[in-house]
Amino acid sequence: MSATKDIRQQFADTMLDVGQQDPQLVVVVGDISHFKLQPFAEACPGRFYNIGILEPTMVTMSAGLARVGFFPVVHTIAPFLIERSFEQLKLDFGYQALPGNIVTVGSAFDYANLGCTHHCYDDFALVKSIPGAQITFPASAPEFDALFRQAYRNEALTIYRIPATPHGYEVAPGEIRFGQAIRVAEGHDLTLVVTGPQLRAALEARSILLERGWMAEVLYIHTVRPLDRESIRHSVAKTRRVLVIEEHQKTGGLGMDVLEEVHPLEGLQFHSLHLPDRFVRDYRSYQEHCAAVDLDTAGIVRAVETHFSPASALATHAP
Amino acid sequence: MTATCTTDLNRDLRRLIVEMVYRGRDGHIPSAFSILDLITYLYDEVLRFDPRNPDWADRDYFILSKGHGCLALYVNLHRHGFLTDEDLLRFCQPGGILGEHPDCTKVPGVEASTGSLGHGFPFAMGIALGLQIKGARNRVLALIGDGESHEGTIWETALVASHRQLGNLCCLVDLNGSAEQILPLGDLRAKWEAFGWEAHEIDGHSLDDMRRVIGGLDFSTHGRPKVVIAHTLKGKGVSMLEGHGPWHHRIPNDQEYATLLQVLGS
Repeated sequence: MSATKDIRQQFADTMLDVGQQDPQLVVVVGDISHFKLQPFAEACPGRFYNIGILEPTMVTMSAGLARVGFFPVVHTIAPFLIERSFEQLKLDFGYQALPGNIVTVGSAFDYANLGCTHHCYDDFALVKSIPGAQITFPASAPEFDALFRQAYRNEALTIYRIPATPHGYEVAPGEIRFGQAIRVAEGHDLTLVVTGPQLRAALEARSILLERGWMAEVLYIHTVRPLDRESIRHSVAKTRRVLVIEEHQKTGGLGMDVLEEVHPLEGLQFHSLHLPDRFVRDYRSYQEHCAAVDLDTAGIVRAVETHFSPASALATHAP
Repeated sequence: MTATCTTDLNRDLRRLIVEMVYRGRDGHIPSAFSILDLITYLYDEVLRFDPRNPDWADRDYFILSKGHGCLALYVNLHRHGFLTDEDLLRFCQPGGILGEHPDCTKVPGVEASTGSLGHGFPFAMGIALGLQIKGARNRVLALIGDGESHEGTIWETALVASHRQLGNLCCLVDLNGSAEQILPLGDLRAKWEAFGWEAHEIDGHSLDDMRRVIGGLDFSTHGRPKVVIAHTLKGKGVSMLEGHGPWHHRIPNDQEYATLLQVLGS
């Protein structure tokens, strides 16, 4: 399984494999991915429902499936599941403590030219407000497969935010553990805490920064909640500089969680790259949207050189 | 002779509801009175359950989608052994398990935590779909309000359940006129029939009607889902509570409490 494989295809492939082994898996979609999921539908008759375009009802109905012992997978575009159906997620899964797996596409502004109706960059914030809910952001096919298998029966509401663009970085399957950060690169001058497809930009930026005297450590976060706070604290205690990179709004994002964890560290320097506090209104590609808000290689390098004191000055702060 | 809800039993249950509200200083008395006769009939003559094992696999599922009528459910769960006297005494009290909406995480016999209108019915559909997948024979009955019928999820559920041939699902509509004063529903029976449901109408306070219609429903696993539109009176049983006046969420004062107990034969 390649790290460059289409993650949505991996979703369908994982459903097929897990569904054949587990008769309690039921997949409910809101009129998307039904062609990709046909192998599952044929292999698991009676457990695939292209239910219609009625997301709140789809979510509550799936909670009812969970009530009688199934592990439902609910799938459609992020804003319709997370924003439109938020109360259904909160009450019918969250409060009733029923297991549910919410697999979204349309991460942040993946549906670049479709505009605000199809963007969703507040999902971390919203789901974090549901006690006990879990959030994953698997930005490669192996991650989706591993995280889903580890988490889908764990009796919680779990979100899988599937991006359209994989980061392409190969991680050994054994290293992908739900709730644990992955240290992709070691360093001592700066910690880059990154989630999603931005891992690619973070690694490219690290190479450039290395030539300019910065040895950056890269911590990759595929599980946003529960967050691996220990790995973050351990790294930043060493580097005292942390840049968080995420395709999400500032409020309720990963950056706020990281800051909450590391702010007591003496001499801490913190900065976060996220979506600005305004709607994304322009029509352009995903890559152009990223570049417009500094969520790319150049933006990361610029943020480091703008917001952190030079690497050579670090020695005076380091323990 | 026509059997109606004016039995001693249902009068006693109404009195119990008034006592709970007076003691707990909270509750929706008229909404509970509107559906009390229907719920009492269901628990007496229709639903299969085991209070010693509320999660019994072969039980029928009753979901009170209009959760604010929960006092009618509580008093029936009490008389069938799910709840204790102490549970009722602690209605809306610290440490109690009974609040103003039913909570399945606390209350044995409650299948869904409802209160936000438009959730219980699609939840019931999910249960019915799951039972259909399993080929199980359990029946699923959901009780919604006519005001709740303004919610879009009610009609989304009506559409899906009909398409999926959930013959094990029955929707009971408490048609007490709440919607009529805000946003009239028009010909409700025709609407349900247009969505593909087998529709019936009853007097929701007539035991004969309930036995004749609900008692005769066919709950095949695959088939048309059923709707029973129950014509009811909000506050039924005590004239001062009946209708859509100020009693919707009002707590009786001492004098009103004494009057209510007198009317209800204490």
